[in-house]
Amino acid sequence: MSGQASPQHAAAVARRLRTLSAGALVAAVAVFVLGADYALSQAAFVATYAIAGLGMIVIVGQCGQISLGQGALLGLGAYVEALLVVRGVPAPLAMAVAVAAGTAGGWLASLPARRLGGLYFAMSTLAFALIVEEALVRAEALTHGAAGLAVPTLVLAGFPVDASWSQALAAALALALAWIAARRCVASRLGRSWHAVREDEAAAAACGVDVARAKRAAFAFGGALSGLAGALYAHWIGFVSPEQFGLMLSFELLMLAFIGGARELAGALWGALVVVALPQAISVLTELLPAGTATPAGLESLLFGAVVVALILLRPGGLTASRTRGEDPDLTDTA
Amino acid sequence: MTPIRRFLAVLGLAIAGAGGTVAAAETPGVSRNEILVGSIQDLSGPIALLGAPVRDGMLLRFEDANAAGGVHGRKLRLVVEDSGYDPKKGVLAARKLIQRDKVFAFLADLGTPVVMATMPIVIEAGRPHLFPFSPHESTYSPVHPLKFQMFAPYQDYMEAATRNMVQTRGYKKTCLLYQDDDYGLEVMKGVEAGLAKLKQPLVEKTSYKRGATDLSSQVARLRAADCDFVVLATVVRETVAAVSEARKIGWNVDMLVTASGYSSQTHELGGKAVEGLYGVSVLPHPYEEGANRQLADWIKRYRERFGTAPNVWSAMGYSVADLFVKAADKAGPDLTVERFTAAMESLHTPRDFFGSPEYRFSREDHLGNRFGRIAQIQNGRWVILTDYLK
Amino acid sequence: MSALVLVQVLTSGIAVGCIYGLVALSFVLIYKATETVSFMQGDLLMAGAFAALALNQGAGWPLPLAMAGGVTALVLLGAALERTVLRRALGQSHLTALLLTFGLGLMLRGAISSVPAASHSMHRLPVGFAGETLQIGALVLAAEHLVVIGATVLLGAALTLFFRGTRAGLALRACSENAAAAELMGVSVARMHTFAWALGAGLAAVAGLLLAPVTFVHLNMGLIALKAFPAAVLGGMASLPGALAGGVFLGVVESLAGLMLPEGAKDVVPYVLLMAALLVFPDGLAAGWRRRR
Repeated sequence: MSGQASPQHAAAVARRLRTLSAGALVAAVAVFVLGADYALSQAAFVATYAIAGLGMIVIVGQCGQISLGQGALLGLGAYVEALLVVRGVPAPLAMAVAVAAGTAGGWLASLPARRLGGLYFAMSTLAFALIVEEALVRAEALTHGAAGLAVPTLVLAGFPVDASWSQALAAALALALAWIAARRCVASRLGRSWHAVREDEAAAAACGVDVARAKRAAFAFGGALSGLAGALYAHWIGFVSPEQFGLMLSFELLMLAFIGGARELAGALWGALVVVALPQAISVLTELLPAGTATPAGLESLLFGAVVVALILLRPGGLTASRTRGEDPDLTDTA
Repeated sequence: MTPIRRFLAVLGLAIAGAGGTVAAAETPGVSRNEILVGSIQDLSGPIALLGAPVRDGMLLRFEDANAAGGVHGRKLRLVVEDSGYDPKKGVLAARKLIQRDKVFAFLADLGTPVVMATMPIVIEAGRPHLFPFSPHESTYSPVHPLKFQMFAPYQDYMEAATRNMVQTRGYKKTCLLYQDDDYGLEVMKGVEAGLAKLKQPLVEKTSYKRGATDLSSQVARLRAADCDFVVLATVVRETVAAVSEARKIGWNVDMLVTASGYSSQTHELGGKAVEGLYGVSVLPHPYEEGANRQLADWIKRYRERFGTAPNVWSAMGYSVADLFVKAADKAGPDLTVERFTAAMESLHTPRDFFGSPEYRFSREDHLGNRFGRIAQIQNGRWVILTDYLK
Repeated sequence: MSALVLVQVLTSGIAVGCIYGLVALSFVLIYKATETVSFMQGDLLMAGAFAALALNQGAGWPLPLAMAGGVTALVLLGAALERTVLRRALGQSHLTALLLTFGLGLMLRGAISSVPAASHSMHRLPVGFAGETLQIGALVLAAEHLVVIGATVLLGAALTLFFRGTRAGLALRACSENAAAAELMGVSVARMHTFAWALGAGLAAVAGLLLAPVTFVHLNMGLIALKAFPAAVLGGMASLPGALAGGVFLGVVESLAGLMLPEGAKDVVPYVLLMAALLVFPDGLAAGWRRRR
């Protein structure tokens, strides 16, 4: 992106401004319609999901792989955080370990990539996630199994982060850090190797890119961000249990990256907004139905599914892809 | 850079707003002519089969109260949020109900992860947290001024039920089949405690995952241990599967299922195979046949209102809302959280037309009932065998 | 462990495996013909069972007719979805189809749970053999398991005849092997895509009907489709008989693991197997993969 001709640069700036003003508008509407506390609580979750989403975008959008098991990596982060904080380890230190655990998990999940490609590799990540979930259930002595674990409030520098505004702020700060890290990685040599792998694995290998290593790095990086997001998530929820980190969460993250637009880092924020806030918006909207009617139980998931389908069909490149570019050639080929 | 500045302004505003919402002169959710009550249900997730009837039962009780003129002239309104068993959605729903809808109290929130994630937020906001559908002990103990529970904990009534069955029927080898989640673990604690009092071990235990298709290997395992009494910590479908599997291989062992398997669905689906199955009932199933007049009328109204027959979960929803109505009535016309919880702490309700237990709350004990009754499937319906086991 | 118990547990393992296999078959069929990874087979399975139930209990059709009607409804639904929505994901990345079918599955589930009778309770298809047993000496087998196995064998034979002996079957096969060549030979590839989805949805519905006497009809019955992925991979992803065999293998291993391995192992076995199959035979599988492209 950097060092390009100025008209393009101006267009990029204009686009960024548009994005920012749209974001401000969304925030303003949210605060006025929903109330500050509710909106900020949403913001905390949006930012936390966006952190994991950045990791997903690196894997899906930059390196061109499909991960069906990212939820389990969040689970690793969440459990490490919960177990350490309960034992009195300061939260920032615990978070560092959670990030390390996520990284290790991502690396482990990527090992089959040495031998597998495409859909087969995606399936192996699914198997990995389900095995991790089962392990969390079975390691009862440590994790309390399916009964779950209560997680204490996040305390940063002696300040308890329990109000929705402080949670939103902490999540936003973590997101900013994750964003800087992701930008650096994508702009680096490693990022270029990811792009090469995404465009054409065989060609990349022929040009001397270590394909397996690039995938490993992408998964380790994605795992690190998932670990961080999981640690924050554990504090926001205050209770972790294995089933929270199952297939549904993995799919939410995959949807997040795809709907937001996996080519741009900003896609993480837009995708998180859709995945976290859309169900809330739908539930607020269904209240407009005549009072007293017992709204059908499945109405909200029906509408959510419909929006997801519509977004995939209408914006196949994601929300951040500019309309003029239309169908992105790299995402549309059958790889 | 106007957009950025605008964004920052909004953010600042939002933060200022969050700090400023603490002081409120009047009781939230209570206006001159309305009381607003919130509930976080699972209408689309793995236990939606519970969530939908519970919600409908509560709605019916509130509508009945409103038809009778409301509580001290105030109409009751229930705001239901669907969490889909996802604690993240639960947290957001709780914040919405607290801040946007300003509900007076939370009623019958469903699902342990959701309850565990939302309860601290509800308590922090100073709203009563009433009768959640979660077996977790922290919903009533240690005593907290805002937490109340009316559902007998699995651990307590399964301890009594196991003890009663083993004592009266002289079993020597008790085994357990359980769902490997918080529910199953609570039951296991109860069964083990009951057996320990009788100085018997739990001979064999085996688990399955929620949604498991086939229980034949689990049943074979239990049979190999030569159990003479099997406790089932299962839900309806797995109850039927486990009992039918045992009967199919000619194993006529006595089995006892928790209140989660005490449902008319158990014998509707299981048919002949589940005849003779024991179960624990904390609230009788509302059978149409042989119902007293009040119950028959209730079933008719439920069916007209929601287009389907009520089940035991509908009755529980109705009971939950009934207890709320009684406490709110007792709290007097000037409703505040303090008056409401004081009314709750002295509430003692008699058995009602469902055949419910007595619910008794006190300052020291916020758990309304600890007891269940043993029932058995006879001729295709549950028949209550004992009184509430103390 | 007596041989008797072993046979009984094995039979239910094979029966459940047949259902895994049928779902895997529908998944592979769609995948081969249209390159679409479908994450909605479980929801189609549930929809099929509910459709038959609604026709039987709601509309009062006799059971065999209602079952045929349920399968037909799903065949039409599959074709309609392909024509309107899924067609637009053709030629796009795997991820597009994956999420598209996931979204469609959510919609289907939401639509069905909007019916009060579906969200309030589980249901039973009133088949005559439910709960009956077959006794051979000391050996007791459940009728519903034997019906599942028998129906799967029949269906497998019918599908074999169809793919070997009929024009439509040959065309579909040609289309999955090499779409461009098939097009040149005068096969309408677009029509074959619709056909594949119709058949795939119909097969899922059949699996749902077979599952109904075993686990009843309820909103979560589609969860079983999660086991179809390991089954499909074990069978090599590109082979229809392989998918069926993979499913049966999985069912058998699962039930044996439940009987013999330590507590809890049963639940991870399918995924450990999936991982192992992917890692130990990547050349075999990958070779098949490359040939197909």
